[in-house]
Amino acid sequence: MTAPLVRGEGLTRAFHRRGGLFGRGVPMMALRGVDIELHRGEAVGVVGESGCGKSTLGRLLLRLMTPTSGRVMFEDRDLATISAAELRALRRRMQMVFQDPYGSLDPRRVIGAQIADGMVIHGLAQGTTVQDRVAALLRQVGLDPGHAQRLPHEFSGGQRQRIAVARALATQPDFIVADEPVSALDVSIQAQVVNLLADLRGELGLALVFISHDLHVVRHLCDRVVVMYLGLVMEEGPAAEIFRAPAHPYARALLAATPSLRHRGAAASPLAGEVPSIAKPPSGCVFRTRCPMAQPACAQSVPALRLLPGDATRRIACHRAEEIAA
Amino acid sequence: MRRAAYRGLILPGVLAAIIVLLAIAAPIMPLIDPVRQDIAHRLTGPSAQHWLGQDEYGRDVLSRIIWGARVSLSVAFSAAAAAALIGTLLGILGGYFRGVVELLTVRAAEIVLCFPPLLLALLVVTLLGPGAGTLIFSLSILFAPGFARVAYAETLSTRALDYVTAQHALGARTRRILALTVLPNIATPLIVQFSLTVAAAMLLESGLSFLGLGVVPPAPSWGLMIRGARGAMEQAPLLLFWPCLALTGTVLVLNLLCDRLRDALDPRGRAMGRPGFLGRVFALPPVPSPPAPGLLSVQGLTLQVPGPNGPIEVVRGVSLSLAPGETLAIVGESGSGKTLTGLAVMGLLPAAVTPVAGSIMLTGQDGMPRDLLRLPEPELRALRGRDMAMIFQDPSSSLNPLLRIGTQVAESLRAHGTHDGVHDRVVALLRQVGLPDPERAAMAYPHELSGGQRQRVMIAAAIANHPRLLLADEPTTALDVTVQAQILALLQALKEAEGGMGMVFVTHNLAVVAEIADRVAVMYAGEVVEEGPADEVLAAPRHPYTAALIASTPEGEAERLSAIPGAVPQPWAMPPGCRFAPRCAMAQPACTVTAPALEEVAPRRAARCLRWRELA
Repeated sequence: MTAPLVRGEGLTRAFHRRGGLFGRGVPMMALRGVDIELHRGEAVGVVGESGCGKSTLGRLLLRLMTPTSGRVMFEDRDLATISAAELRALRRRMQMVFQDPYGSLDPRRVIGAQIADGMVIHGLAQGTTVQDRVAALLRQVGLDPGHAQRLPHEFSGGQRQRIAVARALATQPDFIVADEPVSALDVSIQAQVVNLLADLRGELGLALVFISHDLHVVRHLCDRVVVMYLGLVMEEGPAAEIFRAPAHPYARALLAATPSLRHRGAAASPLAGEVPSIAKPPSGCVFRTRCPMAQPACAQSVPALRLLPGDATRRIACHRAEEIAA
Repeated sequence: MRRAAYRGLILPGVLAAIIVLLAIAAPIMPLIDPVRQDIAHRLTGPSAQHWLGQDEYGRDVLSRIIWGARVSLSVAFSAAAAAALIGTLLGILGGYFRGVVELLTVRAAEIVLCFPPLLLALLVVTLLGPGAGTLIFSLSILFAPGFARVAYAETLSTRALDYVTAQHALGARTRRILALTVLPNIATPLIVQFSLTVAAAMLLESGLSFLGLGVVPPAPSWGLMIRGARGAMEQAPLLLFWPCLALTGTVLVLNLLCDRLRDALDPRGRAMGRPGFLGRVFALPPVPSPPAPGLLSVQGLTLQVPGPNGPIEVVRGVSLSLAPGETLAIVGESGSGKTLTGLAVMGLLPAAVTPVAGSIMLTGQDGMPRDLLRLPEPELRALRGRDMAMIFQDPSSSLNPLLRIGTQVAESLRAHGTHDGVHDRVVALLRQVGLPDPERAAMAYPHELSGGQRQRVMIAAAIANHPRLLLADEPTTALDVTVQAQILALLQALKEAEGGMGMVFVTHNLAVVAEIADRVAVMYAGEVVEEGPADEVLAAPRHPYTAALIASTPEGEAERLSAIPGAVPQPWAMPPGCRFAPRCAMAQPACTVTAPALEEVAPRRAARCLRWRELA
């Protein structure tokens, strides 16, 4: 197997909530030691509920945030140690698509200029070539190239998300992090954007980290899925496998709770309780407070992420992995 | 709309240009020398030669006002511009970098704010000696912190926005981000600040000159003129009037200009004002009350909003019915009119939306059917919270953050006449909606609860008076999936406990509909396109839009999602025939001409499509 394009090792990130007048307060661990690998042309879905650290993970991988500990390797370079100029140059190859298509575009600049930004910043094209490239990109994401001189508010949500995708593609990146790119869109429009991302991935060989709370969307787009809970990876493996038979109790609960047109009655036995605060995570396994399989031992130690017995492609973090596999 | 914003610039622009031109052209205008004295005619009133009269030394007032404008305007503008430049720079740097930079820039600038402004100006002028240059210097020091504060606050909120992060992700240098992205987006409040500062600088310049610390006599300035006129106020009150008029007029013109400039710079143009509230009863034709079958019956509801080219129908001819104990889901995309339909039932429509046709019959707790659209507000208020209650999408913004949970739930009981045993009832309600430790939860504030718990509190308040109708507008959209499943289960359980309570559930999520609804009404572009039992509609849709929505829901095994091309049409540009025709895979030429009616396609099922038979 070739070396991965992007590799996160032991990524940890703490946020400090201001406590009192002078204290730094309790550190809140948004991410508690996550390893992730992404190969060229691969799509990895990162799934979980609010507070699981999925957005933090995305921003760390792009170094829009610095990890508290751990490191991110892009090819063979450590993003934390390279110089600011090197990092800026590297940004050409990694891009981001945001959740809110209304907030991710500058309301005061025409969309053509915003799509061109990356090319101008990295000196990839000049003068009329920029205009041609912008037109080609707009066409590529299914918009009218004649609309380059319009302002963002003249477009609908779905169209704006296409513009945001065009902006990310402008620098011909190898790697894109898409943070809930369809959550703010209507269902009929969601499908358009998901299909667009799937097509572009195929055409351009992009490596994609697709962050979502919606398991169903991830299934359509991703090769591999990482299920996260409270800053830790609960289960990781091929998307098809995880959807067919999720192994970790949390992955099972998440899949069961997602309402479905085809299997009615998901709400019949919902998971009890809510995600604990990241300021006060439970001891041992973070999921044990809501886990239907929890035992006293689960409160003692944090289960390591290990291969699911009898399956060389999936890893889960559960003390009772053997029983699950059996 | 943008053109209107630019047109608004004309009046203040012309006025400001006249003032500036007068000041600039002073040397070439046939004016009397402003410093030439004529003691013999001191304090003379207006005459043919001296239009505005002569001052205490017999100098021409008109000439002095125009020459004085040069000084006053140039000092005020230079000072405001210098202050804006320095202050904005400090504020942006402090707001963007935070930390030590913030301490060195914004906090340092704020020290200036600790001194009384006049005292500080006096100090500087005393140190450097009077004169226009000193004046500009001291005024810009005084006004810079104001700009720094505004720029700082705006930068703080702007830097957290995604489009700034996007620039960073593109690899832009900080310089570029600040100049190209942050600055234009914080410019609006800075422009307002600028207009205020110019006005304040002119006033302060007048004040300092008046104290003898600004412009040196005999050079004319408005402040000096006011100072001179004050001595002769009793003999020649008009002398005081002219410079004050010039000062006030200029300040007002400047404020107007900057206000209009701000509107013109906003890419979305000026916000349209709300039309006055005309009693909605007047807009409605009288309807003979139809018999009210079941709990709720909406007939032919049409809602309008005013548009630039006449009223726009945002909801057209919507008819729905709900039997006691039933759950009706209204499902649709944004712009389908589903939320407005729900708000119309509650009588909570925004002021700009007017019902123009139809009726909404609700059978209350007393068994009396009433037309909610034609009910006066006091009677409607009595029904809300008792006969019908509502749950909103965002539980964090629908609870008052300053009041305890128990107080807020108790409010809905007290509003409808329950005063005894309120506390026990509140605790019982909180227990009923599944809050752990309800006694303690009643004493908690909203921020101490999680999103799901807050939604439970909202539900507790809604069902406090055993309403006949519960209207839920996207109640689970803001929640995590595992919590959504809990809330759906709770609503289901409550409906069974509150025998006969009907529920209208507004949502965009078809899978949630499948989970909870007995009946479903699918809305598209302001119309109901299909209605019927949820099972049947989802299993065998009779409208291409419903079918396409189901197909585009990311679930099945298909490799590729089937998307609906295009977007929902804008309410002011509705297609003439079937509103879904431009996006419909089954559309024929006839569909673009004839608007189909809602037809019964099976018992208790209706669809609005010319070709529904082919879907069967």
